[in-house]
Amino acid sequence: MSRGVLAVAESVDGHLAASGREAAAAARSLSEGGTVTGLVLGTALAGPAGELSRAGVDRVLTMEAPALEGRRALPWAAGIAAAAAATSASVVVLPGTAFGRELAGAVGSLWDAPATAGVTEIVGSDAEGIEVARPAFGGRATQRLKLTGPRIVLALRANSVPPAPPAAVPAPIEPIPAPELAAGILAGEPVGFAAAASTGGPELTQAAIVVSGGRGLKAPENFALLEELARSLGAAVGASRAVTDAGWKPSSYQVGQTGKSVAPQLYVAVGISGAIQHLVGMMSSRVIVAINSDPNAPIFRVADFGIVGDLFQIVPALTAEIRRVRGLAEPGRSPGA
Amino acid sequence: MEILVLVKPVPESESRLRPSPDGRQLDTEGVKFVLAGYDESAVEQALLLKESVPGSKVRAVALGPAARAEEVLRATLALGCDAATLLEAPPGRELDGAETARALALAAAKGPADLILLGKQSGDQETGILPTALAARIGRPGFSNVLDLRWDPGSNRFRFARATEAGEERWEVPAPLVVGLQQAWNDPRTAKLQNILRSRKLPIDRIPAAEVAAALGPAPRESATKFLLPPPRTGAKMIEYGRPEEAAEQLVRILRDTARVLP
Ligand SMILES: Cc1cc2nc3c(=O)[nH]c(=O)nc-3n(C[C@H](O)[C@H](O)[C@H](O)COP(=O)(O)OP(=O)(O)OC[C@H]3O[C@@H](n4cnc5c(N)ncnc54)[C@H](O)[C@@H]3O)c2cc1C
Ligand SMILES: Nc1ncnc2c1ncn2[C@@H]1O[C@H](COP(=O)(O)O)[C@@H](O)[C@H]1O
Repeated sequence: MSRGVLAVAESVDGHLAASGREAAAAARSLSEGGTVTGLVLGTALAGPAGELSRAGVDRVLTMEAPALEGRRALPWAAGIAAAAAATSASVVVLPGTAFGRELAGAVGSLWDAPATAGVTEIVGSDAEGIEVARPAFGGRATQRLKLTGPRIVLALRANSVPPAPPAAVPAPIEPIPAPELAAGILAGEPVGFAAAASTGGPELTQAAIVVSGGRGLKAPENFALLEELARSLGAAVGASRAVTDAGWKPSSYQVGQTGKSVAPQLYVAVGISGAIQHLVGMMSSRVIVAINSDPNAPIFRVADFGIVGDLFQIVPALTAEIRRVRGLAEPGRSPGA
Repeated sequence: MEILVLVKPVPESESRLRPSPDGRQLDTEGVKFVLAGYDESAVEQALLLKESVPGSKVRAVALGPAARAEEVLRATLALGCDAATLLEAPPGRELDGAETARALALAAAKGPADLILLGKQSGDQETGILPTALAARIGRPGFSNVLDLRWDPGSNRFRFARATEAGEERWEVPAPLVVGLQQAWNDPRTAKLQNILRSRKLPIDRIPAAEVAAALGPAPRESATKFLLPPPRTGAKMIEYGRPEEAAEQLVRILRDTARVLP
């Protein structure tokens, strides 16, 4: 059954966020021949709209308004609901970001539709509705849900849907007016921004590989070892709460119950014991590797592969081996040394 | 300041997860439902604000089967909340997020609140959509992923940070406001025994299932179809090695050729 689908994308530093390409690809798979419309909102949209027009959509709408500049869920949701109505879309797909979840709730209420977020898989789709899978209980279970009715809202989880290959011919781009926004939902304003401490690689929740370090690293400066390993893999760096509590790394690095949830293809836990509060933040990872000197560390119970040993010996050897097989240069070391 | 704090009864984190006999959802037989996760931190945050602004009152609200919701509300009263509202879930009716927001809005409509606090996500389903779903339902500004929430009496505004993938935004927003709290390291207090005993006798306001049902749409739009547990991780395959270089070589070979996760 073909249906119109609206895919919403965010932009970062004037570019389309990768999560927007994933939303476009999911929208395409749900449309079953219907029209896929990409939507960007905010100000200065030319760059992201151009990139979205090559991300596998049939057309792109730009909704430009100063009130949409900051990422505020309610004004955006009003704009999304208006664009969905204007394009006769019956499904809205939102990006797998923290803001995507906020949007799912607000669009669900404004558009009066069932909404869910953190979708890792579209299990099925028929005339009645859409069945999706999403992790629950900190990745300890997967819940499948069927959403039904004339309107459905889904927010994805990052890294769950492969983006479409870039289209040769860009889709047409048109502006669409923003709806009138009630002053009440616009009260207040942003007064500052602190960029997340850069891990030097991809963003933690969006990365395909994550290398995390724990108290076993013994001192903040030893994180350099992990950062080198992460660089050799193109990975993001994470940490246990023991590390962020000690101030070795800012809290934006923390993985776990009270930090970030990650679900990369590969998670490497180094000098992390594997407390349940850490495990719930990373257990949905596809492959887990643990490096720990204690053979009884609980992390080995959830890991797929384990190395019992001193991380100060294992990690540098691992970095060197990965560089070797990937053909990367080893800075400051002579070959064969 | 009048504060509403919304708490969802969720299975105790130690409870064993297994599918219900029909395989559709969590088997709740014998499972204890508690106040947990971000909701516990939201209650702590509500109490901290109450202590810092004289004359404040905190009302806890829970929607669920009556026995579970009552248990959780008594826990909030024992911690120091002043009042509690129980929204009785219509038995057997599955609710989607927008419907849950409609139901929770019934409690919000009972009296004006300056702040409606929720967890950024519930401790079981972790959907993370209710804070903004409720805000949109009642037409107030709503923000989730909020950290470091403070009240500034001088300007009559809330000041807070909001976490995004790119970093932390700082906001100033006047009351009334809906907030999904991400603060989870505020070391929630534990209740004293005498307060636990006292809380058993405190009154709880009730909104009956019929009234909740009347606020919902005509037919359910979301239904659980399957509850799946991951295949048990049988423990790691341990790499046997002599020198560290051998361990590295073996691991890289496995990750590249067998698991196929290397770039
Ligand atoms: C309410 C609450 C919420 C929490 N939330 C989180 C959270 O979100 N995230 C989180 O991570 N934690 C969280 N925690 C903390 C959690 O319980 C653990 O305390 C924490 O994860 C431990 O961190 P760690 O594994 O780095 O340290 P430790 O438990 O001290 O483990 C260090 C490990 O390093 C190993 N080691 C030591 N030296 C070496 C070496 N030379 N080579 C190799 N291995 C070595 C040791 O064998 C040990 O296993 C939370 C706790 C509570 C109570
Ligand atoms: N049944 C409920 N009763 C009270 N509060 C709820 C309920 N469901 C969700 N909430 C609130 O909404 C937040 C987010 O829930 P969710 O969107 O389901 O992840 C929770 O942390 C609670 O604060």
